[in-house]
This record gives sequence, structure tokens and C-alpha cells, in this order.
Amino acid sequence: MRKSFVAQNPSVLVFLICLSLFTVVVTVLAEGFGVGALSTSFIKTLGKTLCLCLVAIAMDLIWGYCGILSLGHFAFFGLGGYMVGMWLMYARTEIIVEGALAQGDIPPTPQEIIDGIGNQIFGVVGSSDFPVVWTFADSLMSQLLLVLVVPGLLALVFGWLAFRSRVTGVYLSILTQAMTLALALYLFQNDSGLRGNNGLSGLQNLPGVTAPQSAVSLWFFWASALALGAGYILSAWVVSGKFGSVIRGIRDNEARVRFLGYPVESFKLMLFTLTAMIAAVAGALYYPQAGIINPAEIAPIASIYLAVWVAIGGRGRLYGAVLGAAFVSLVSTWFTGGQAPDINLGFYTVQWVDWWQVILGLSFVLVTLFAPKGIGGLFDLLKREDKA
Amino acid sequence: MSQMNTLLEVSGVSVSFDGFRAINNLSFQIGPSELRAVIGPNGAGKTTFMDIVTGKTRPDEGRVLWGEKSISLLALNEAQIAQAGVGRKFQKPTVFEEQSVRENLMMARRAPRSWWAVLTFRASAQDRTRVEELAQEVGLQEHLDRVAGELSHGQKQWLEIGMLLAQEPRLLLVDEPAAGMTPQEREHTTDLLVEAAKTRAVVVVEHDMEFVRRLNCKVTVLHEGSVLAEGGLDHVTANPDVIDVYLGR
Repeated sequence: MRKSFVAQNPSVLVFLICLSLFTVVVTVLAEGFGVGALSTSFIKTLGKTLCLCLVAIAMDLIWGYCGILSLGHFAFFGLGGYMVGMWLMYARTEIIVEGALAQGDIPPTPQEIIDGIGNQIFGVVGSSDFPVVWTFADSLMSQLLLVLVVPGLLALVFGWLAFRSRVTGVYLSILTQAMTLALALYLFQNDSGLRGNNGLSGLQNLPGVTAPQSAVSLWFFWASALALGAGYILSAWVVSGKFGSVIRGIRDNEARVRFLGYPVESFKLMLFTLTAMIAAVAGALYYPQAGIINPAEIAPIASIYLAVWVAIGGRGRLYGAVLGAAFVSLVSTWFTGGQAPDINLGFYTVQWVDWWQVILGLSFVLVTLFAPKGIGGLFDLLKREDKA
Repeated sequence: MSQMNTLLEVSGVSVSFDGFRAINNLSFQIGPSELRAVIGPNGAGKTTFMDIVTGKTRPDEGRVLWGEKSISLLALNEAQIAQAGVGRKFQKPTVFEEQSVRENLMMARRAPRSWWAVLTFRASAQDRTRVEELAQEVGLQEHLDRVAGELSHGQKQWLEIGMLLAQEPRLLLVDEPAAGMTPQEREHTTDLLVEAAKTRAVVVVEHDMEFVRRLNCKVTVLHEGSVLAEGGLDHVTANPDVIDVYLGR
């Protein structure tokens, strides 16, 4: 008899149980719901961390399972954030502008309202007209759709060009870096239509919602946990069957897979696009919690960090990616957030904000050299002891 | 002319790498169920010949025609050629070492190859039985759930042959199957190839004359990128040109 999907992949069930428990515990401890032991800003940090775990899963799919070291997946993450940010900013500004204009004696015309919104949003880059890319910004449904469509299309076109020419290995990594750099530089321009280096801000305020941030932060935390759970199941399903066999085959010996008759390029393209869309969903949930998105978010270094998380967590296993992203990003927040006390050595003061980067870089090198399976490899040790 | 009894027809094919003529006006034919050994000294163009047939290398000139409809393999890419029914076994065993014998065979098993078909693929009872039969055939039934990387060299060779059979190709190209095998393993391999050739065309590239003798089939001798002699093993080994190339060195 065929075993069910969960029976074949016990780690999925374990992961979902852990994630649910974590969600419940955090909710009960949260300021907006229960005891209040966890501050709203910490809830946001946790929610954001869940989003980072989701994009790390996407990275693990494309790199750990299929061997494509994409160093551009944060571009898709950022684009997802921009897409949802446009609606948040538009809708909230619309409410403010309508409120302000309603003070006047004559009711404002629709054009006046739109001009007002344009002035509010684009005044900072010396403009007041809506660029074409904002065409659908007034509709939440359209923008949510664009969260998937825009990064998906970019990945499809980029991947088609790259994979068709059989660009692989380090050349592909460089190409993806170039892509995310080009996108960041474009968005930095004031006339890119997305407010240049100001980016989109005030995203933490949901239009028309009067609930306090302590509650809103929990909603997003739940949504992030839900997305992570769904993304985990989807990814586990994708890598579990024959498709998983084929993409791992592509990772280990691409030419051999081709001689088995599999169109390797279309498999890569499909996976590249799928992971771009997963990354975009993660970004769309992350930035409303961060409150602001600007082009610096998709600088090349961000995508490199993503690869570092997955490497440290252990690539080629989904929970490894989750552990790596959660561990490294939380520790990183702690060190760079100023909570870590500086160490005064008398002749030199170790400031963690600077030194954390060095530690991270070193641990990346050490993990790559001595523990290629990363943190996830520890679970193999446990399993082996069970057997013994 | 004789489309009924020609599965693969290579005619007038040449290819050069940096001025070196690896294949020089080569012509070669094989029928739908025939076992053929291709021998020749190092650099005779044996591997390049396989590369051309499987789409890895594009020839500078010549034709490669396939099947009843005589379609040109030169217009297809590697994956399409494999789907058309050409299977290839490499010199070094290339199985997917991190996956189980079962997964390796299932991946090779003939089935739709598009990403969507693969993503939604669910192994039927028939698929699973066939995989077990194949494992039985190549003597790996005990090792179905072992990771391929743990197998011995000879077992990997058989797994790869099993994967080729799973593809159900009409033409099997086998590059030095006996390299690095013990005498018993060689015997098993010979049996597998002779058996396979009953229902399909099999081309075996080999160095080892003893192994070729055991295959007991028509032999094509390659030298400097073209056919030097063709016929039974005794016939070609009596050929003065062949003696020159092989023994004159």
C-alpha cells in the first residue's frame, strides 16, 4: 500500500507541530493578546523572522536541492514587498487626503482626491503624477496578484535567458547578483516611480484599521506562520517525489539527467520561477511588519546573506534552511540592535555592531569547510545515536 | 533503401576540434535488434561518435538519421534524442549517488518527461513492479533501498545498465561496460547486453578483445575517425590494416 505523504515525510509533521506550538506560545505571551511578556516590536521581529525562514526555504529549494546558487532571490523578496507596499501606501494616503479635503466647503472631485494622493506620495521625489506602475495600486486584490506576477515574470524571463544559454555555476551566481544590483540601482532613481531611495513607508499602518499595533503585529505574525507552514508543505511535496529526484539529479549531474531525456532547462526554469514567487510572498508579509521598504533592501549583499543562512542551517533539507535563517537573523538582530554589551579590552573596545559581521563571515567559512551539512547535520548525529 | 532494417544511419559525418579531425567522413549503420561492438585504439573517435549520436557534439558535416521516418537527430537536443529512444551508458558509472537504487531506476523508467508530468507523477503498481523486475534483472534486488553511492563499482555499472533498460530505448550506446570489473562481473555484464540486444540495437564500445569475443557479434573497427574494417571478429582481426593499427604500434 502506498504510504501517505506525511508518513513518508515525518519531518513535515514535526515541523508543523513545532511551528503551531511556537505560534500559540508567542500569542499567549504577546502584548496584544495575552500576558504581555513579549513587546509588540519583538512580535514584529519574530514575524519578520518567520518570513525570512520562508524565503530561506525558497533558497534551499533552488540551491540546496537543485544546485543553482542564485544570489538574487532577495530581489524577488523585495519586489513582493513593493507590490503590497504600493497598495498600503495608496489606500492609507487616500483616507488621509479624503479626510483633509472633506474639511472644505465644497465636496472634492475625484480628480482632486487623486491629485492630492499623488502630491502626498510623490512630493518627496518632486512629482505629483502617478507613474504607470501604480495603475492598480488602488486595488488590494490586483496588488496581491502582482506580488506573484511581477517577481514570477522577472524570474521567468531572466531564467529563460540564462538557462537556455546553459549558464551554470559561478557564472549564473554572478548574473543573479547583477540582476539584483541592476534592480536596486534602478529603484534608487527618483523617476523609477517607486519614490527612489525614500522607498515606501508607513507600511505598518493598515488602511481603515483602527486596531492598535499590538494587535496588528499579531495578525501579521499569524499570517507569516501560516505562510511558512504552507510554504514548507508545498516545498516538501515538490522535493518528495520524482520531481525531487530529478532536481537533485540536476544538482549532482546535469548532463546525465539530460541523457535520461529530461528537459533540464524547463525544470530549472520552473523551479527558479516557483522559488521567486515563494520569496515574493515572504517579502509581501515581511515589509508591512518592517514598516518601510527601500532599494537598499535588495542590494546584492542581502541575497548573499540568504545563501549564508541556508549554508549555516544546512542546505538540502528544508528544516535546515528554517533553522539557519531563524538562528542567524535573530542572533544578528541581537548583535546589531545594540543589546549586546560592548567589551572593553582597555586598548580596544569590541563593538558588536561591527564585529558581528566578522563573526558571521568566519562562521560561514568554518561551516563550509568543516560542517558542510550545517546545523541540520546535528540531527543526523542524533539519528545515528538512535540506531546504535 | 533499406529503411526497414536500419534503425540508425550515420553517413559522411565529420567533426574537428581545434583543427584536429576527431571524426572523418564516418558512416555507420545498425539495425533495430542488433548487437555491435565498436573497437579501436585510443583517439579513434569512439566516444566522439557517441557524443554525436546523443547530441552532445554537433558534427561539422554529415547526416544522422533515425528510425522508420528517418528523422535527423542533428535537429534535436540531448533530451529529445533520449526521448526518441537513444540511451547512453558512460564509461565511468554515472548513477545518482545520493539517491537509492529504487529512485535511480524510477527516474530512468520510461514515462512522460515534462516538468508538469514529473511533478504530478505518482508511481503506479505497474511502475513499482517493473522497477523491482529491473533490479532483479541486473542483480540488485537486495539493494533497492540502498543509496547508490554505497554500491560497489560493478554494482554501479549494473545499476546504470538497469537504468538504461528502464528507459526502454531502441538503441543502447554502451561505453566500456567491462572496465574495472572482475571476471564474474564481466560474465554477468555480457549476458545482460546479449539479452538486451534481442529486442533492441546495442552498440558496445570496448577496448578489451576478450570481452568483445564473448559478445560474439559483428565488429566495427574505428581508426582516426573513420571505419577501418567491419565484420566478424575473426574476419577483422585477420585484416592487415587492423593488425597494423593494433599490433604494429
